[in-house]
Amino acid sequence: MSFLSSQNRRTLITVFITLLIVCEMLAYVATTPRPQEQFFQLYVLGAHHMAADYYPNNNTDISIGEAVAWYLGVVDNMGSVQLVSVRVKIGNQTIKPPDDQNATESPAPLVAEYMRVLQDNETWETPFVWTITDAVSTGGSTHLLTLQFNNETYQLQDRTASGGHNFRLIFELWTLQPDTDTFQFGWVASGEHRVAWLQVWFNMTSPRLA
Amino acid sequence: MLYGCDYLNESQLPQIHTKLAIALGIVILAVMLLPILAISQSTGTIEPGFAGALGAMRQAEMAGATPSEIAALVALLNKALELNGEALKLTAPGDANRRTQLISEVDQILITVQSQAHDLTTIASHRSSTNKALTYVLGIVAAFVGTILFGFSVSFYRAYRIKRTFQMRITRK
Repeated sequence: MSFLSSQNRRTLITVFITLLIVCEMLAYVATTPRPQEQFFQLYVLGAHHMAADYYPNNNTDISIGEAVAWYLGVVDNMGSVQLVSVRVKIGNQTIKPPDDQNATESPAPLVAEYMRVLQDNETWETPFVWTITDAVSTGGSTHLLTLQFNNETYQLQDRTASGGHNFRLIFELWTLQPDTDTFQFGWVASGEHRVAWLQVWFNMTSPRLA
Repeated sequence: MLYGCDYLNESQLPQIHTKLAIALGIVILAVMLLPILAISQSTGTIEPGFAGALGAMRQAEMAGATPSEIAALVALLNKALELNGEALKLTAPGDANRRTQLISEVDQILITVQSQAHDLTTIASHRSSTNKALTYVLGIVAAFVGTILFGFSVSFYRAYRIKRTFQMRITRK
């Protein structure tokens, strides 16, 4: 065949090598996972599944026995399976919140902890209904004594706010590190330590008298 | 050894420098690790096997296990977490037996998860390498087919041009 002269053969070899490079590059792109940004999302929604209506009758003053319904959610965008723990702490106006810069937790006392294993791109959302079941007023300060989260009662110690103002529920996201078998506040992505936390303020100005 | 106000000789100086450098290195390392150590807390509330199971699942994921394969293990691990939570609530002395039973169930689930994750890692790894090899082979085949098509196209084009040339007519203007 006249087409397979030496010049044509060279052309064919050149075409084959060019196509081979292109096709193998496409194969490499198709088989190599793309790097993605690794992060978590932590959110609290109000009673109607929106970022609103956090308090009954839009009143931040919560009474004893009044149920407050929220939704607590975590989204795993880490690209891998994760064991997360949402730690619920109760603080007042003076206690430090978590520190984003140094990635340190709040020193507020831990009340409850919710754990879940999440797949990549999975959202875990759970109702979070809480009630102040006992609070007492002494010397102008309100002491929260017991709280109920999802029908479970938690005894509190030394949770006081002047006049019952500016209590807060702090939600911190912790992750289990399989290599060290420890929980870490936040997560490490691309060598950077990141944290996710939320706080919702409330008042408790109608405690029982001591 | 150095005593009182003895002077250092030249051979002792490098030793002191090395020791100082090591001590300085340890201090810097400790300062760098302090925030990490400070924010890490013992798992205390969950069985130690959870970390192993999670690690095994991540290996399976990295080996190429599909989300549906991982989902089955995630469901098992969540079940174990639930039982672990139940066991933690049983603090009364009368609940000791139930607590022990729950903990042993948790451990059993964790062993199952870890074992299944290892199996999955092997299967997924084999599947991934086969898929990868097939994709690269497909690339070679595509390049070969492309070259043949190119060759035929060029050949047909040349035949067409020759035919057209012989079909030409010379007309007087």
